[in-house]
Amino acid sequence: MINHVESPILEIHDLTVSYDQSPVLWNVDLSLPSGKLIGILGPNGAGKSTLIKAIMGLVAPSGGYVKLFDKTLEEVRSRISYVPQRESVDWNFPASVLDVVMMGTYGKLGLFKRPGKKEREIAMECLEKVGMQGFAKRQISELSGGQQQRVFIGRSLAQNADLYLMDEPFAGVDMATESAIFELLQRMTSEGKTVVVVHHDIYSAVNYFDWFIMLNLHLIASGPKDAVMTEDLLRKTYGGKLNLLTKVSELIRQKEFNPLKN
Amino acid sequence: MISISCGLLGVFMMLRKMSMTGDAISHAVLPGIVIGFLISGSQRGLEVIIGAGILGILATLMIDWLRKRARVQLDASIGITFTFLFAIGIILINLLAYKVDLDQECVLYGEIAYLPIDLWITGGGTSLGPRIMYLALLNLILVGIFIFLFFKELTVTSFDENFSMVIGIPAGIINLSLMSMVSYTTVSSFEAVGAILVVALLVVPPATAFLWTKKLDQLIKITIGIGIGAAFFGYYLAYYFDSSIAGMVVSVAGIGFLASALFKSKLISGRFGTSTKQEPFEKMI
Amino acid sequence: MSDFVYFFTFQDSSIAFVVMGIILLGVGSAYVGTYSFLDKKALLGDAISHAVLPGICLGFILAGTKNPIYIVSGAFFSGALATFLSSWLRKNTRLSEDAIIASILSIFFGFGIVLLTVIQKSGNPEMAGLNQFIFGNAIAILEEDLWIYGGLAVFIILTLTAFQKEFSLLVFNAEYGSAIGYPMGLIRLVFNVLMILSVIIGIQAIGVVLMAALLITPGAAARFWTDKLSYLVILAGVFSAVSGVLGTYISFVLPQMPTGPWVVVFLSLVALISFLFAPKRGVISRYISRRSYLKRTHQDHLLKALYRAGEKDQTNLSIEEIYETYPFQKKESNQSIKYLIKEGLITQNQSLITLTSKGKSESKRIVRLHRLWELYLNEYMNIAPDHVHDSAEKLEHILTPELEQLLESRLNYPKLDPHQETIPRDNDEL
Repeated sequence: MINHVESPILEIHDLTVSYDQSPVLWNVDLSLPSGKLIGILGPNGAGKSTLIKAIMGLVAPSGGYVKLFDKTLEEVRSRISYVPQRESVDWNFPASVLDVVMMGTYGKLGLFKRPGKKEREIAMECLEKVGMQGFAKRQISELSGGQQQRVFIGRSLAQNADLYLMDEPFAGVDMATESAIFELLQRMTSEGKTVVVVHHDIYSAVNYFDWFIMLNLHLIASGPKDAVMTEDLLRKTYGGKLNLLTKVSELIRQKEFNPLKN
Repeated sequence: MISISCGLLGVFMMLRKMSMTGDAISHAVLPGIVIGFLISGSQRGLEVIIGAGILGILATLMIDWLRKRARVQLDASIGITFTFLFAIGIILINLLAYKVDLDQECVLYGEIAYLPIDLWITGGGTSLGPRIMYLALLNLILVGIFIFLFFKELTVTSFDENFSMVIGIPAGIINLSLMSMVSYTTVSSFEAVGAILVVALLVVPPATAFLWTKKLDQLIKITIGIGIGAAFFGYYLAYYFDSSIAGMVVSVAGIGFLASALFKSKLISGRFGTSTKQEPFEKMI
Repeated sequence: MSDFVYFFTFQDSSIAFVVMGIILLGVGSAYVGTYSFLDKKALLGDAISHAVLPGICLGFILAGTKNPIYIVSGAFFSGALATFLSSWLRKNTRLSEDAIIASILSIFFGFGIVLLTVIQKSGNPEMAGLNQFIFGNAIAILEEDLWIYGGLAVFIILTLTAFQKEFSLLVFNAEYGSAIGYPMGLIRLVFNVLMILSVIIGIQAIGVVLMAALLITPGAAARFWTDKLSYLVILAGVFSAVSGVLGTYISFVLPQMPTGPWVVVFLSLVALISFLFAPKRGVISRYISRRSYLKRTHQDHLLKALYRAGEKDQTNLSIEEIYETYPFQKKESNQSIKYLIKEGLITQNQSLITLTSKGKSESKRIVRLHRLWELYLNEYMNIAPDHVHDSAEKLEHILTPELEQLLESRLNYPKLDPHQETIPRDNDEL
């Protein structure tokens, strides 16, 4: 059940991605509409993070390609924002909340310029949007999980992008933060932004997202909630039994090179 | 001045968790220094600095190659690279002993080879002095400019490399340039203070400062302060005790570090009852 | 040449001692270092080797002579202090591990230098040999020293071998070890002691800075040749011994050369060779297996082309047609043709290539795998028919008979692939 879209904001064509020597995503083909809140679902190890990383150019695919706004990544970097997983960073780093959010403006600043009043104002606005303006001077090592997540999102807002890709922004945050973030994401989509979120929990997902991508080493479904949230598709996603595919992946991993690469 | 340059670079090395790489580079540049000597015919050539710079980059590339292509784990890549390069350096020194006015001790701890009278002269003012000072000044200016220009790039790449790549910052180049600056600083300073002191100044003041503050600008300021303080105290203590300047400065810095660690940890655990770090359940060394 | 013979026939007993010493020292360090390497704490050894310096100097100051007992004890004390401080700092501060190791390393070493200059100032004639601790000089190993240091090395080797189980638990999964009741704290302590001891004896031959090589490089190199721990450790020891002997030899032949660096150079060479040429994991080996894999794929493609020609009722292909199908690969095509003829899968009559019956079977197998995989991608993974070809083209060469069976049963022995082509089986008529 893969819905394709006219003039998609993101188009993925026959994408195969390997991670650490074995393939994690097989021949993914999908297109995404703009202005929607899109959730990526799947069991652990399904390739959800890998998909986002491949879109962001952090991992090179073994086959296929990705198009954003009908262009390559390099051409439209300034229109895309990335929120990595919270654990990917050492929160002991000596930086204040405001410092981190301002990092979002660095992309547009260019190499030698220093961030100034304008960047600071943008950062403060974004902090307000995530409800952290009171924490601007606080050191990030003193934040709770939910607050850290808000800071990360604040940083991505500061990029002022049109497409946002977020890797598990709801993982390990408290209820209040979760609702706050969700409301923010809804506001963003109503303003015309597109937000793609890797999510870990089906039950809340049903209430949050308009469009779903279901992954389990390959694309099982991509489409609006009603079309895709069926028992059959959910079973295919979470029900396991992909032992053939996993066996082939194993076989590939055991070879000292990746036969899928050219 | 040297302690300031090292401190500035060292802060970023520490934040990137590359302190040991800094140690490795300072050893690895030895062959470059020797070759530079050989070419320029004296200790004082630009060739020496260029030689070291090249070796620094070479070392970084070797470590990278070992890790990525040969798939050797990171700590082993660092260890193998720097020991190999240092060994080559020592061999070169021995091979070319009659052509090169270098001494392996001299490289390691600077002036200790010039026992005993030259001890305090070399550090400070006579015929050798002013030259070293100019070198150090130049180094400081260049390091200062580097850090100033690329401050935000260095900060982002140290904090969150993936994000920095995504917003278009060339993380690999930034890394390589940082390593080059470290090699350059090492070599520019080795004549006065030797490789040991350079490493110590790269690593210990930032580590000590990190125990006291969590703010980046304070971190830098405290690091500089500690570096200067250690340099002064160490110098005078060395004079007083008639021993190695380099060693004394390091020891002073070391005492400062250990005292801070003791003070800070007891204070913190005393005040809050639990330590601020997550504790694993087992005793993990 | 005569030097070579003289050296290696060990006519000179002092040479024999030196060689023996180097071997024992090297093997001991390699053993300990390999475990440290597997623990991913390889640079800890570097820190310890720098950290023992103040202890050595202190021991010397107290003893007034190069008395090994004082020196070893002093070194041991400062090494132990350094290790203790490292773990204390890790538990009680938020400094990262590399910063801690680097700080301890430089601080202790710096303090050691201070003590060293004090000693040098005192003018004690005995102190001449102390410099050897920093730079190492294996040739200067004296007979009495050998008994002590050699004995220690043997002790280290024996302990590690006897308790291999315990130590491997330590580096693989210490928590599991505690969970099943092993005294991991004690084992860790013993390991640290062994590490410090091997550093103490090692740096005399090779010096402080290069000691890390004796610890890390043998294990890193050996890792590329085997996955079994017992072989790994022994191989590391062998590498270390060989490099040690070679290094000593160079030092013997060129007297102004210190031994240490040459040992390290040989070790690094061994390591480089291992990284490049070790079967399976070496860079070159991987390259070669990739090349032979590509050759295989080309042969398979040829067989497929012949089969597909057969589907169109063309019983053979001319060489020109083959060249046309795979342009720019004339050389590979020729090689494949030769190989396939040799294997009895095809025959060549002038310029026409025909499948033998063995070849027919084999080509059917490949085409079958290709089409089965395409069907699997299409049916099970919802992948469009025009996207399945590339993946199948690559995987048809590696799917095993077991996987083939799995595919068949999963797809229920299908007759057609997504492109409506027949899936060939052995009992069909071609």
